[in-house]
Amino acid sequence: MTLSPDFDVIVVGGGHAGTEAALAAARMGARTLLVTQSIETLGQMSCNPSIGGIGKGHLVKEIDALGGAMAQAADEAGIQFRILNSSKGPAVRATRAQADRTLYRQAIRVRLEGQPNLWLFQQAVEDLRVEGDAVRGIVTQIGLTFTARAVVLTTGTFLAGLIHVGQSHYAAGRAGDPPASALAARLRELALPAGRLKTGTPPRLDGRSLDYRVMERQPGDDPVPVFSFLGHPSQHPAQLPCWATRTSEATHDIIRGGLSRSPLYTGVIEGVGPRYCPSIEDKVVRFSAKDSHPIFVEPEGLGTHEVYPNGISTSLPYDVQLALVHSIPGFERAHITRPGYAIEYDYFDPRGLRRSLETRALAGLFFAGQINGTTGYEEAAAQGLLAGINAALQAQGREPWCPRREEAYLGVMVDDLVTRGVTEPYRMFTSRAEYRLRLREDNADLRLTEIGRQLGLVGDERWARFEAKREAIAREIGRLKSTWIHPQTVPPEAAQALVGRALEREYALYDLLRRPEVTIRQLAATVDREGGQVPPEVAEQVEIQAKYQGYIERQEAEVERLRAQEDLRLPDDLDYAALTGLSTEVRQKLARHRPETLGQAARISGVTPAALSVLLVHLRRAAAGRTPPAPRQGLAS
Amino acid sequence: MANADTIAATATAPGRGGIGVLRVSGPRVPAIAEAMLGACPRPRHATLGDFRDADDRLIDQGLALYFPAPHSYTGEDVLELQGHGGVAVQRLLLARALALGARLAEPGEFTKRAFLAGKLDLAQAEAVADLIDAASAQAARSAARSLEGEFSRRVDALVAGLVEARMYLEATLDFPEEELEGHAASRTRADVAALLGQVRDVERAASAGRLLREGLRVVLAGQPNVGKSSLLNRLAGDEVAIVTALPGTTRDPIRETLSLEGIPLHVTDTAGLRETTDAVERIGVEKAWGALAKADVVLLVLDAREGRRVADRAVLARVPAGVPVVEVHNKIDLGCEAARVPGEEGASAVFVSALTGEGMDDLKRAVLALAGRVPSTEGAFMARERHVRALARARTHLEGAGEPGLGPELVAEELRLAQEALNTITGAFGADDLLGEIFSRFCIGK
Ligand SMILES: Cc1cc2nc3c(=O)[nH]c(=O)nc-3n(C[C@H](O)[C@H](O)[C@H](O)COP(=O)(O)OP(=O)(O)OC[C@H]3O[C@@H](n4cnc5c(N)ncnc54)[C@H](O)[C@@H]3O)c2cc1C
Ligand SMILES: Nc1nc2c(ncn2[C@@H]2O[C@H](COP(=O)(O)OP(=O)(O)OP(=O)(O)O)[C@@H](O)[C@H]2O)c(=O)[nH]1
Ligand SMILES: [Mg+2]
Repeated sequence: MTLSPDFDVIVVGGGHAGTEAALAAARMGARTLLVTQSIETLGQMSCNPSIGGIGKGHLVKEIDALGGAMAQAADEAGIQFRILNSSKGPAVRATRAQADRTLYRQAIRVRLEGQPNLWLFQQAVEDLRVEGDAVRGIVTQIGLTFTARAVVLTTGTFLAGLIHVGQSHYAAGRAGDPPASALAARLRELALPAGRLKTGTPPRLDGRSLDYRVMERQPGDDPVPVFSFLGHPSQHPAQLPCWATRTSEATHDIIRGGLSRSPLYTGVIEGVGPRYCPSIEDKVVRFSAKDSHPIFVEPEGLGTHEVYPNGISTSLPYDVQLALVHSIPGFERAHITRPGYAIEYDYFDPRGLRRSLETRALAGLFFAGQINGTTGYEEAAAQGLLAGINAALQAQGREPWCPRREEAYLGVMVDDLVTRGVTEPYRMFTSRAEYRLRLREDNADLRLTEIGRQLGLVGDERWARFEAKREAIAREIGRLKSTWIHPQTVPPEAAQALVGRALEREYALYDLLRRPEVTIRQLAATVDREGGQVPPEVAEQVEIQAKYQGYIERQEAEVERLRAQEDLRLPDDLDYAALTGLSTEVRQKLARHRPETLGQAARISGVTPAALSVLLVHLRRAAAGRTPPAPRQGLAS
Repeated sequence: MANADTIAATATAPGRGGIGVLRVSGPRVPAIAEAMLGACPRPRHATLGDFRDADDRLIDQGLALYFPAPHSYTGEDVLELQGHGGVAVQRLLLARALALGARLAEPGEFTKRAFLAGKLDLAQAEAVADLIDAASAQAARSAARSLEGEFSRRVDALVAGLVEARMYLEATLDFPEEELEGHAASRTRADVAALLGQVRDVERAASAGRLLREGLRVVLAGQPNVGKSSLLNRLAGDEVAIVTALPGTTRDPIRETLSLEGIPLHVTDTAGLRETTDAVERIGVEKAWGALAKADVVLLVLDAREGRRVADRAVLARVPAGVPVVEVHNKIDLGCEAARVPGEEGASAVFVSALTGEGMDDLKRAVLALAGRVPSTEGAFMARERHVRALARARTHLEGAGEPGLGPELVAEELRLAQEALNTITGAFGADDLLGEIFSRFCIGK
């Protein structure tokens, strides 16, 4: 049965990727249908109850600048907020919030239900409708068919999901949810390149059975940070502390004793897990010299006693889990409410995607989130947003938007995924971004709001506030650049306090601000009589820009140098096997990765500058076949 | 694609009385010409001129040629300076052009620009592609040679130290809440100071000129007992290698530097390339293959009575692409049943007797002809120059990292750029590699 009317975009899956995708497409005016297994689990956090962190917080701020939901939902659900790396430079500072799971789901659901152009529908999707090389719609579990111009799949860990606890295992999408087995089987039939990955989660505990007296209290920051550009601390619910404890030698002995029944160490689990988020059994085995590992006790919410012991993700049998939990100071009498587990699931090789997140195999089919081999809510949400944007653009007959590496972490992530693929679940780190100094949390709004506005994602309120801020920054920079101070008019004590010695010549205030030791507040307190009048977020931005200016300019020159290469598109049907002057290895790599641009080709390992030159020469011949050559003159080679 | 940047390279025919040509192409050429010559020379005329440094001191004198765009090889403004000075003077000329805003050209880049400017027939695309490939392979070989021994060990140590420093620093930036064993806040500062000392040492070693061994690497290779050592002795006019009637005489490679019409030839005699059970001989054979990989010209020695055999084909297959081969049919005094067939796949063939000296002039002529064919822009000179430049860039960034009061993310940026500079010497080391180091050293993740 085919249900009319036609949709522009259908999003499958209501996790972090799916909800952002659906919201973005609908905001852009596309008639959008969000189909998910259960409306109750919209915006569900499968694992730890927190949003943000280094690299991830950066993504959240970018999602926010593009009109997404995650930052605002975190502001409404956050029960503890911190700025990480606050003592280090602005480029590596990041916001992190503990979130109340229920409040978070609610915040997302309210937005979905209030979004014009968006329809919600509860069903499991079992099949895609494919015509030729294009996707045309979906078929659900009870045989309903919905058609659309574009389909976004965001099925997370659900495709052929398999949960392990000790030697027992069962099919599931995550604890409490059924797997998507029929859809997984259908996708495998479509011969998309697939693989298996693995992730895990710790047991949950009843907070009333813990002894907090032996743990270290970890309060949130004061003043309380906010996530969204439009956010305000008054939106936050009541705030709670986290707690810290550690594993003991006894814990490690218990774990070692249980390894013979661990699905990880007996070869039952085949999927590859991340190296940076290992299970406690992995930590004990791989870092055997370490006699204790930290554990952070995080509240799951305001309306529940459950807590999340961050640091003991495990798939050991339940009796071992119980024993190891009881060996931890403060957990001696803990009651486990949910066992920890590992889950294996299908993902699709992201090298099969274009930078728009559309699959190469089927036109109109987009993938976002964990299905692409990533891990994390923020990574999923950011991809979902991008896939939703590009699905809507495609339905509207417009060109895709593909953010660049120097524009956004979103651009870094997608480029990493589609050019290099993954060997383990992909998580964002700031060290992945060569333009890290440009890609900051504090300037995500300046980098992306305007693009969001052009795409139709940014509403009037955000736009007005953004423009006001941008103008205020420009005005303040202009004022500091054109305000000069003279040695005669600056009292020696003031100069001493500011730069450590008397001034020998005239200075623009802006030039003083560029010195590492000078702050805008100091200027206002000493020589800048008009200073201290702009809002703190403007002052902060001006100061950061001044401090980073030299570095940013250098990076900009680099971006400029590479621009031509980044812009040069490689034809989809380029026959690499026929190109001379390239080694067999390079030809094979290019044929396998099929880079979309020369810049992407450059980032494939083993592709040398000489190989790029050779490619360029072949491209020129292919492109300029018609122009007659100019006569040869000048020097001989 | 319009080229905004200006490239420069020194083309030196190996030896050749030390004449080197500095070639510059791109929009900055008129400015560079004016700065170095006092005035831009008349287009398309060989002008005698003084080449001057930044303080207006004379570097060299010679011919200057200026081809304004679009009537030049690359289609851009091109300047050529042909001096008389030796290697040291060529370095000064190149350094001056680079200081004036040019950058070091990639292997084959002049030809690439010519092609992209439409100066070459489109049908030549494949030839151009092959040339770029060959030039870069040649450059890689030259670079590998200049990385031999002590210098290479020092560069490796420098890179290892840099990776270690970055591993700690990046871990503190991306994982501030983790316990990083062995990390102290003061560590990075000490690391940077140590690295700066190291890079200065390596730079000094690179500048000392010990690495600069201009000339053509000629390798004598072939089966045992065909007369390789006898040929070396004949070429050298001296008994430098042991000759016996026993196959498998030569073990260690024997290097001898000769001069052929002013061109320095570094001739290496090698062990006969055969499968062997003798442990010592086997090491010699391995070394022979190593020498072959770094050759500019290979002299494949054959017994004229037997001609090319299957084993010789195997040797030919392992000669690096683009390296010319001369088939030397030796022992013609013993009679030469095999017809005087031309060499395999365009290799030239000569017929000699090491015993009587017959045909030796043919051999010398063949080698000299090839000397002209070896892509001359990518000799040891440019290879060394690239290394020196990369080290200088790395040093500049390490100095930047050592500035007092710099935030850790800015120190990290300088260290990343230092690593990128060194990547051009040692090969790529990217973000994934660094994360790999971090995850294998520290227990990261909750
Ligand atoms: C056990 C476990 C541990 C994890 N540990 C971590 C961790 O430590 N750190 C970390 O950063 N991340 C972790 N994650 C990952 C994090 O939960 C995901 O990366 C993130 O939720 C992915 O978002 P998503 O939108 O891609 O998919 P999900 O959040 O998984 O959402 C998928 C959605 O699709 C729906 N769906 C699936 N199939 C169908 C279908 N056929 N028809 C209709 N609807 C369907 C589901 O109901 C669900 O709503 C863990 C996940 C799990 C399950
Ligand atoms: N008649 C004649 N004998 C030669 C000639 N060249 C070399 N021989 C003899 O051939 C034998 C081997 O000569 P070598 O020069 O040692 O041969 P090789 O190729 O270096 O041998 P290995 O080092 O064992 O690989 C010696 O007895 C030489 O005297 C030649 O041109 N004519
Ligand atoms: Mg010998």
